[in-house]
Amino acid sequence: MSNVVLSGVVKRYGRVTALAGADLSVPSGQLTAVLGPSGCGKTTLLRCLAGFERLDAGEIRIDGTRVAGGGRHLPAHRRSIAVVPQEGALFPHLSVADNVGYGLDRATRRSDRVEEVLALVGLAGYGGRMPHQLSGGQQQRVAVARALAPRPSVVLLDEPFSALDAGLRAGLRHDVRQALRADGATGVLVTHDQGEALSVADQVVVLRDGRVIQAGSPTTVYREPADPWVAGFVGDAVLLPAVVEHGSARTALGVVPVAGAVTDGPVTVLVRPEQVRFATGPGAISATVLRHDFHGHDALVGLRLADGTRITARILDGDVAVSLGGEVTVHVDGAARVFPCAERPGGQVEPSTGPVHVGIS
Amino acid sequence: MAVALTPLAYLAVRTGEAGGDRILAELWTERVGLLALRSLGLAAVVTTACVLLGVGTAFLVIRTDLPGRRAFAVLAALPLAVPTYIAAFAWVSAMPRLEGFWPAALVLTLCSYPYVLLPVAAALRGADPAQEEVSRSLGRSGWQTFTAVTLRQIRPATAAGALLVALYVLSDFGAVSILRADTFTRAIFVAFDLGFDRTGALVLSSVLVVLTVLLLTGETATRRRGARYARLGGARRAVSRLSLGPARWPAMVALVGVAGLALGVPAVSLGRRLAAGVSRPGALPEVLAAAGNSLTVSLAGAALTMLLALPLGLLAARAPGPLTTVLDRLAYLAHALPGVVIGLSLIFFGINVAYPLYQTRWLLALAYATLFLPLAVGAVAGAAAQSPTGLEEVARSLGRGPWTVLRTVTLPLTLPGIGAGAALVFLTGMKELPATLLLRPTGTDTLATELWTSTAVGAYAAAAPYAALLVAISALPTWLLVARSGLLDKEDGGPS
Amino acid sequence: MHLHRRTTTVLLAASVLTLGLAACGSGGTDSTDPGKPDDKQITIYSGRNEQLVKPLLEKFTEQTGITVRPRYASTAQLAAQLVEEGEKSPADVFFAQDAGALGAVAKRGMFSTLPEATTAKVPQTYRAGTGQWVGVSARARVLAYNPDLVPADQLPKSVFDLTGPQWKGKVALAPTNASFQAFVTAIRVQHGDARAEEFLAGLKANDPQIREGNVKIVEDVNSGIVPVGLVNHYYLGEVAKEQGTTPDGLKVKLHFFPGGDTGALVNVAGVGVLNRSASDPDVQKFVDFLLGTEAQTYFAEQTFEYPVVTDVHGPAYVPPLAELAVPEVDLNDLDTLDATVTMIKNSGLVP
Repeated sequence: MSNVVLSGVVKRYGRVTALAGADLSVPSGQLTAVLGPSGCGKTTLLRCLAGFERLDAGEIRIDGTRVAGGGRHLPAHRRSIAVVPQEGALFPHLSVADNVGYGLDRATRRSDRVEEVLALVGLAGYGGRMPHQLSGGQQQRVAVARALAPRPSVVLLDEPFSALDAGLRAGLRHDVRQALRADGATGVLVTHDQGEALSVADQVVVLRDGRVIQAGSPTTVYREPADPWVAGFVGDAVLLPAVVEHGSARTALGVVPVAGAVTDGPVTVLVRPEQVRFATGPGAISATVLRHDFHGHDALVGLRLADGTRITARILDGDVAVSLGGEVTVHVDGAARVFPCAERPGGQVEPSTGPVHVGIS
Repeated sequence: MAVALTPLAYLAVRTGEAGGDRILAELWTERVGLLALRSLGLAAVVTTACVLLGVGTAFLVIRTDLPGRRAFAVLAALPLAVPTYIAAFAWVSAMPRLEGFWPAALVLTLCSYPYVLLPVAAALRGADPAQEEVSRSLGRSGWQTFTAVTLRQIRPATAAGALLVALYVLSDFGAVSILRADTFTRAIFVAFDLGFDRTGALVLSSVLVVLTVLLLTGETATRRRGARYARLGGARRAVSRLSLGPARWPAMVALVGVAGLALGVPAVSLGRRLAAGVSRPGALPEVLAAAGNSLTVSLAGAALTMLLALPLGLLAARAPGPLTTVLDRLAYLAHALPGVVIGLSLIFFGINVAYPLYQTRWLLALAYATLFLPLAVGAVAGAAAQSPTGLEEVARSLGRGPWTVLRTVTLPLTLPGIGAGAALVFLTGMKELPATLLLRPTGTDTLATELWTSTAVGAYAAAAPYAALLVAISALPTWLLVARSGLLDKEDGGPS
Repeated sequence: MHLHRRTTTVLLAASVLTLGLAACGSGGTDSTDPGKPDDKQITIYSGRNEQLVKPLLEKFTEQTGITVRPRYASTAQLAAQLVEEGEKSPADVFFAQDAGALGAVAKRGMFSTLPEATTAKVPQTYRAGTGQWVGVSARARVLAYNPDLVPADQLPKSVFDLTGPQWKGKVALAPTNASFQAFVTAIRVQHGDARAEEFLAGLKANDPQIREGNVKIVEDVNSGIVPVGLVNHYYLGEVAKEQGTTPDGLKVKLHFFPGGDTGALVNVAGVGVLNRSASDPDVQKFVDFLLGTEAQTYFAEQTFEYPVVTDVHGPAYVPPLAELAVPEVDLNDLDTLDATVTMIKNSGLVP
């Protein structure tokens, strides 16, 4: 159980600056997800934490002790930070038990710690197998068990689920989350998959261009994104130009209550598609149905408002009769998040690409 | 690296002694120009022939449904166990008028094409079949796919083998002397024989170094970025085999023909010499002692070479950069020098630097290390490049220090490469003659030196058992290499 | 992916360490110092083939109890090795196949002067004027011929005739062989450089059959591949031995050039004693043994050479040494090899 703090971490590769002063605090016993698009520096962040790379500036402290920065570079094997790489990277020449026991001293190896962590990841009794006899998901579970076994200060997970198929992935990340929690481990999960980050992490850290843009609980990051870019990156977003008057925003979707105290004037408001409800009655706005993407558990409906603004609505009862080209009426449920300036006036932010996200394209 | 530098330092010292005028007088002649051209020409012809033969054979035994392909694979690799001086001698015995450039090219090709065959076979087995399938699905014919995809996949392996062949041809003495092809190496040996002209010989050797540098520079320049084709993740899938149909018969005839030329001619020729001669080898204990000495010296050489090659190979695979490239290339330089020059340079080293080692097995082992370092470095670097660096990082993140990681992860994973390198060095050491003659402990006979002793006085029948034993013992590591290259794997591809 | 700097250091350290191990490890256990005089042990660098001299060395050990540590290689290689080793050479004696190699090592001042009593046993012709080396057996240059291809009455009177048109493509040579070089030096000594150059050019222009060694020439003449070849006389004996017959039983015959022709040069195999062993009685015993009746008889009977000590008879299949019309060449002059080598190289007979 350790507290990890990164302050002002800079890492350059030649002319490319991968980390441009990243600040980050990883609370002890929790799972922190580092979320960002490819090339944002999240893998570099992980490698710096693990001790595979030297910092160019800034420092890293674990439980208050400086492990990197200020002329100090504690080598990887002295940091007590265990890594779970993307492909699992099990030692092909060692059995599952030997893989898991790799980081243990001789005495602990003979205790039941190996079997204990194998059980944690749901692979009790698999110790005698060789890595090539396991499926991809099982290999990842072993990799997690191997990282947990020596009770490291921190476990770093580098997109550990990205190579697995969707069905397997959800189950595995739940199990891994459970295993980390059961073992009281501090974890850092690096991922570009916002669904993954929001669903398993205690804290989500959004990284862009080598800087931390926002850190907070999954709900905070989703509901109160720091800027329109984060809003679009962590989920589907409808961004509309608006004018605030007396605590309400006048938008193409009608008058919407805003969250928090906002001064009057022109702004950009964020409305999540699930806030756009099909409804009739006073204040409802009529729209033309452009698209209907059915996802099983819900559906995304593309709409065009009277003034030409395009928005998206998420409806749970996906079988509601919507005919392409037909007219519906909608209204916004709940408060909208307001950003000071209109960065993308008129229209919605296309959410970032990611394998899990099913876009409206 | 000092190992590879000793001969170069020695050459520099000795040619420096010669003085500018002498060097100019030796080098600035039409004869030297002709020799250089002929040496390069021979290297070019043999390398081209080895690439054609090696790639062709590898393709036939790995990628087609040729009947008896595993037996053919072993047959095709076995010439590695035949020293060029035995092969050349056998050919001359069988056809007394054989001499000159083309016969030398023939014998050298037959003896050294396995240097291309083995790495290419391994590459063909390891190549990603998906790439070929994609090419076929994009409308390319089988032949177009072969040239556009398959050949590119095996290009690094082919280039590595071709380089070894070219350097081997530059440094080989056995075939060119017996078949009287006037190359640089032969001129160097002749310079020693003619009036014990050490300086002339060494000045010529430094030209050989220059030729090698040219060759290495050329090879490095043609290497492209990203030439290492690793396959990421995914289950290993068997390669598909091409159905030869009626073409299998000419293919079999060709393979049998090559094996007949490379193995049959020496076997029959040596057999005839044995039957015809009346000289007899020493008593069995003597033969066994020679075999024992060959084994121990070559094993010591292989062990020492691997010790030296390991850090170099790992550096080459893990920390590629200009410095590593230079170190790697330096190792190759000594490989192209004739054994007699390496021998003399280590005499120089032994007398002046390490006198307690002089005329011990250790100095001889060091000579083998100097001569054959590239064989070992290549094998280690190849194996290390295939084991992902991620594994080492994981190991370090689990609290293991660099030494422990080396011992528990890197070495076990590189072990097959180390084994292959050791087998190759052992094999080449068994066959080595000139440096062995100069550096062996006084009174120690090996199979190669006994063979030389007997043939020098025409006691061919006495020589035959040593030759047979030499080839037989060398066949063991050859078998290992064949097995390692995947030529013998039972795993069979589905129908193509 | 860059390697961790520390690991790089470790790898570099490992390579240095292994080098160090190689340099320090188990030094010198099997290299006993043979330098002490009278330790009943001598080290011989033998340019003479093991097959030829091993029985002789065994006989020496049997008689004297002195252990012989022989090191076999070609005479030229051993000469190069000795020169490279210099004063630190572990060798006591250099047993060389020809006078030129002995001269080359003597020129470096590496041989000690042999006692008068030893050199006196050998005619002046077959030893160094300085007493630094002494011949122990002699070999005559001959023309080996196949009587089926060349009738005895058509054999050349002089070696110089071989450049004539009637011999075009018919003469086998081993120009890299030390015996050929000594022979060319002898031509220079007897007839001058111009004549020697002219002769080599004539040979080259006459489309000679180049062979790597003398054994091969004798074999090829015997089997009729080449009509004649320039060799040393004793190779006939070696080939006959391997074929299980006597020299007389072979097809190939020997022609000794008459009338003191340079083609009938007689060269020697001999020994020189390295400086460090000048006063080693074991070494002296060995040199005396080689010049004793038993060894001399061995040379005559087993290696088909001529004894150099006058009261021992030569091999049966050749005329006695005394009856040969040997050219008047001082073997001490044969160490002017540099010029000969350049001449042979320039002739184009060798690469």
